Parts: sequence; structure tokens; C-alpha cells
Amino acid sequence: MLQLSAAIAGLVTGGAYALMGLSTLLTYRLVSVVNFAQAAVGAFGAFAMVVPYEDGVPLYLAVPTGMVIGAVLHCALGAVMVRWFSEASEGVKAAVTIAVYAGLVAVGLRLFGAQHPHRFPSPFDAPAFTTGGVVVTWTAVVTLVLAIAFAVLPAVLLNRTRTGLLLRAQSERPTTAELIGVRVPRLSMVVWAVAGAASSLAVMIIAPQLASDFGSQAGLITPALAAVLVGAFRSFPLTLVGGLALGVLQGVASTWTDVQQFRGVLPFVVILVVLVWTRRADRWDEPA
Amino acid sequence: MRAATKLGSLATAAALASTLLTGCSSDDSIKIGAIAGLTGSFITAEVVKTAQRVFDDVNDRGGIGGRKIEFIVKDDTGNPQRTAQVARELADSDIVSMAASASFTDCDVNDAFYRQKKISSVMAVGASAKCYQSPNIAPVNVGPYTLMTAELLFASETLNDTRLCNFTVVLPGSEDPVKKALDQWSRITGKHLVVNDLTVQQSGDPTPYLLRAKQAGCDAIMFNPTEQLVVPFLKAARTQGMAGTDFLLLASAYTDSVAKTVGGLGLKVYAGSEFEPFTADSAANKDWRDTVARAKAPATAFSQGGYLAAKFTVDVLRSIRGDITRDSVNKALRAMRPISDPMVGNPFVFGPEQVHQPSKTCKMVQLQGGTWVPLGDFITVPAAN
Repeated sequence: MLQLSAAIAGLVTGGAYALMGLSTLLTYRLVSVVNFAQAAVGAFGAFAMVVPYEDGVPLYLAVPTGMVIGAVLHCALGAVMVRWFSEASEGVKAAVTIAVYAGLVAVGLRLFGAQHPHRFPSPFDAPAFTTGGVVVTWTAVVTLVLAIAFAVLPAVLLNRTRTGLLLRAQSERPTTAELIGVRVPRLSMVVWAVAGAASSLAVMIIAPQLASDFGSQAGLITPALAAVLVGAFRSFPLTLVGGLALGVLQGVASTWTDVQQFRGVLPFVVILVVLVWTRRADRWDEPA
Repeated sequence: MRAATKLGSLATAAALASTLLTGCSSDDSIKIGAIAGLTGSFITAEVVKTAQRVFDDVNDRGGIGGRKIEFIVKDDTGNPQRTAQVARELADSDIVSMAASASFTDCDVNDAFYRQKKISSVMAVGASAKCYQSPNIAPVNVGPYTLMTAELLFASETLNDTRLCNFTVVLPGSEDPVKKALDQWSRITGKHLVVNDLTVQQSGDPTPYLLRAKQAGCDAIMFNPTEQLVVPFLKAARTQGMAGTDFLLLASAYTDSVAKTVGGLGLKVYAGSEFEPFTADSAANKDWRDTVARAKAPATAFSQGGYLAAKFTVDVLRSIRGDITRDSVNKALRAMRPISDPMVGNPFVFGPEQVHQPSKTCKMVQLQGGTWVPLGDFITVPAAN
């Protein structure tokens, strides 16, 4: 029974992982960058929302402010990528985002402090329903619905629309796309801005449930990347499933005495297992 | 031309004399060192600011035996390498002792160095277990371990809770002291914890812990992490409908920001205060409040530690007959008479022991509508059997 309750509770955290994972996948699919700074940018936007909110600015103004700041920040990162690293390999681009992540965490801790908690608003905090002995809040429902939307919408956009086609072109062959007349830099900037705003919104929703310091929020990138790996950096629905499964796994692990102290390293275990599994062909299926 | 040369030599002479004079006065001062986090992610600047004010007050009244106190504060930025480096810088600048340090890595990094250099430290804020296991370090605060025992005593004896549960984040080196603190409560009361989870993670959703507590029927839950995690923990507790449970938080969560953030949740939340509660407008706090205001520092529980550590050090320095050196300060600390202060429940003494736990008392505070309200008198933890 406790396992079931913990699994349901884990679904909520899983929704958060999935949401962040899907934003990361969106950036990867559209501009071919594995963005380690995705959650840090989101956290920046979320804190840019909470600081004015604590000073009495109403939520309907504070939330867009935070999203705009997240978008601008992500755009700045995107501009660096487009300007200097557009022809660079994925590894180099990822390394740049890791450096940006480290920088953002340092700046974020200095700007927003790590000592005292911020009052993240939780407008959806009311209990929605009780199941398996767990009270599920509207926040959890909103997180899940948003995660599903994040999984479905980009897939539809990419596969069914002309904009999606252009986006895929500029992601896979940027130079060719530019030669046939796609305005790649401008389109990329829009993508970076949307992904930045989306991650900011995601962190704003997740923040009240987790430790509310900048470092913890930026650290969401680890389970997020584990989820993206489950989706093989391609599939939106599988990333959603990966995130949810990771959350459930962590929830269940907390009830199991022998492994509960290793709960925190589970994302790394998942990353390792997925990597070994997807690369199995390279090692074991070699023709004799 | 000649006049100019004359003037020039005069100026040089004056400059030389003033250098000599300042050199003299700084050589004559009593140098006391402290390590604190002035920058970085965990800032304890108010601790050393308050201590500085205490020393300045002494200096304004003529110093100690005519000698001024020079308080040298080093910022370790919360980085252990810096903590080690600044301790060496302090030792090189001939400090007679350390007072009012508030660094979370100081004890673990520098204990051996202090022993080697025969430096004694009256700490303002001791957090790690090492701070309470050294012959050279005596923190003025009760510390997280004794506080755990005291809070469990409060829950079982004052609130009359019968099903007590504990959820603790264990940091490296703190597992044994935490277990000892919990055992101590069991030995005193003959009672046992219903759930004792020492595997709590610093991050992630805290709901699974609460589900476990709910299933076990806990009527009091002790939870030790930092403010950042206390907030989502209590929010999740509200969501899971645990309004009837007593939540016991440690001193690290006894802050204004926690009160503001979770005050409106309608839960029964208690926290341990290591001194006279800093939110209490009592006579015991009057001198500290006055000092911290003049120091232009925020009035926090940490700043109480800075005030007390500085005050006790001044009292010990005053008791020294003859020259004030590292040796004479060490002797005086070990032979000192207990010093009482209304902000602590039992008198402070450094003493000759190999380990120091000067404070054995705490007061409890309860969260009521966004503010912390002091409850009752000091709780004293009986000595270990």
C-alpha cells in the first residue's frame, strides 16, 4: 500500500522531470544543442518572477515578466550559439552550455541567495482528489497536463506543419536551409525564446514542491536529461514516459529500506543503463 | 630650495614617526581572529559584525588593561580550501585566540591545525560534530545534536506525544552524533522512535517521507534539513492533511523567512532556539538587541552567537593577570570560572576537558500566524549516563 502511495506521489515529481526533459528535447530537436543550462535558464526566469511577486507585484504581471526574462536569457545563449558555434560539433555546443550552466548557477546564487527560501506562489495548491492514500493537488494535475501538452504539441508541430518542416530543415542542415532561403538565424532565435519561456514556466510550477534554492532548481537538468535519453533524444512521448517513470521509481525507492539512501543517484543509474542499452550494438553485436 | 628640502625631510620624519606609532599601537593590540562566510552561498556576516561591535565597545572604554582588541575577520566564502588558508593567515598574524567564528567548514578543516598551533576558539555557531569533539573548540550554541535530544524531550514530555518519528539528512561525519543524540533521548525517557529515517535526501519531493509518517501514525515528526527543504516539506504535509501532527524543526529553520513562508499553512510547527529566542522581546535579549542594532546587523539567532562568543572572550581576557598571549589565554580559558548570561540556560565554561559542550539548553518556539512565539522556559538535557 505504501509502495502504491509513494508511486502516485512520485508521478508528480515525474511530471516535473518530464516537463523539464521535454523543454530540453525541444531545444535539441529544433536547434541541435544538448542544453545543460536549460533548467538553470528556467530557474532564472522563475526567480525573476518570485522576487517582484514577494514585493507585492500581482501574479499576472510577475509570471510574464519571469517568462520574458527566461526567454531573453535563452535568446542570448542562442545568439552565442548561432553566431560562434553554428558549425561546431554537438559536443562543443554541449560543452558551451555546461560552462553557461556553471556561470548561471554562480550568478543565480549570488543574485537570489541560497540561504533563505523564497515564497514561490502555488495557486494550484488545493487538493484535487485522493487516491491510494495520497492527496493529489491541482499543481500535480496541471504539471501532468502541461507535460502531456509539451509532449504532443511539438510532435504535431514538427510533423504536420510547414513551420515544423522549416524548423526540422534548419536543425538538421542549417547551411542548406539558409541557402534555399530559410531565415535560419531569425527562426532559431524564436525557438530559443520559446524554449526559454517554456522552461521558466515549467520551473515556476515545479518550484513550490522542491527545495526552493537556485541550485536545486538548476539541478533538475540531471533527471531531465535521463528522461530525454529514454526518448533517445528523438521521441517526445517516450521522454514523457521516461520522466514519469523516473519519478515513480524514486518514489517507490523511498519505501524500500535497502535502496532508499540511493534515491538521489537514480537519475544517473538510469542514464548509465540507457546508454549501455542503446550502445549495446556497438559492443556485443559486432560480427565475428 | 633649501626650505623645500627641509619641508620634505620634515614630512618624511613625520610619516616615519606615524608609521612607527601605528606600528607600535598595532603591535600592542590584542589580536583575535574569526572565520566567517562574508560572501558565498551561506552568509554569516552579521555574526562577526555583532562581535566586532562588542569589541569596539570594549575599546571605546579603554580596552583591556590599556590594550585595544584588534578583531581580524577572514572570509572563507564557504570553501574548505579557503577555510584552511585563512586559518593559517590568522595564525601568522599572531592572534591570541579565535572568537565568534561562524564557518561551517572551520571545525572539520582546522581542528588539527588549531591543536598544533595551540589556538583556542570560542565559536559563535558550531554546526558539525567536530566542533563538539575538539579540546580547542567550544561553541557557545547548543548545536544540532543536543538540540535533537532536547526537542524529542519537549515532544514526549511537554506535548505528550507518544508516536515520535525522525527524518534526518545525514551529512558526512554526523551519523554517529545523530544516533547518539537519539539514543540519549531513549535512555532518558525509556521510549523509542516509531520511524527513524536517516536517509533523507537534500533534494526532490518530500511527499514520500510524509506518507511513511502518516502510515506509521506519527503524532510528532522531527525534521532537520535547511530552510530551503523545510518549506516544501511543510507544504506537502499540509497537502497530505497532517494538521494534527506536531512538526519539530531544528534551529536552522528558526528564521523570519520560514515564519513568513509557511506561517499561513495552519500546521503545528515548533522549532528549537539555541539561545533566548531572538524573536522574543525579553529583558534577557536587551543588551544583545542594543549591540546588534548599533552594529547595523540583522538581528538573527546567529548574531546572538556572535554577541555571546565575543562577550565571553572579553570576560576571559579581563581575568588574565599579566601579559595576554596565546598561552595565557589558553590557560585562562581552561581555568575560567563559569560566566552566566540570561540568553543561555546554563553558564558558559571552556574548561580543561578534551571535548566541549558548554551549552546544554534550548528554548522552544511555536509558529503562530506568521511569527515565532516563545514557549516556556529553557529545556536542559540531562547528562549522558
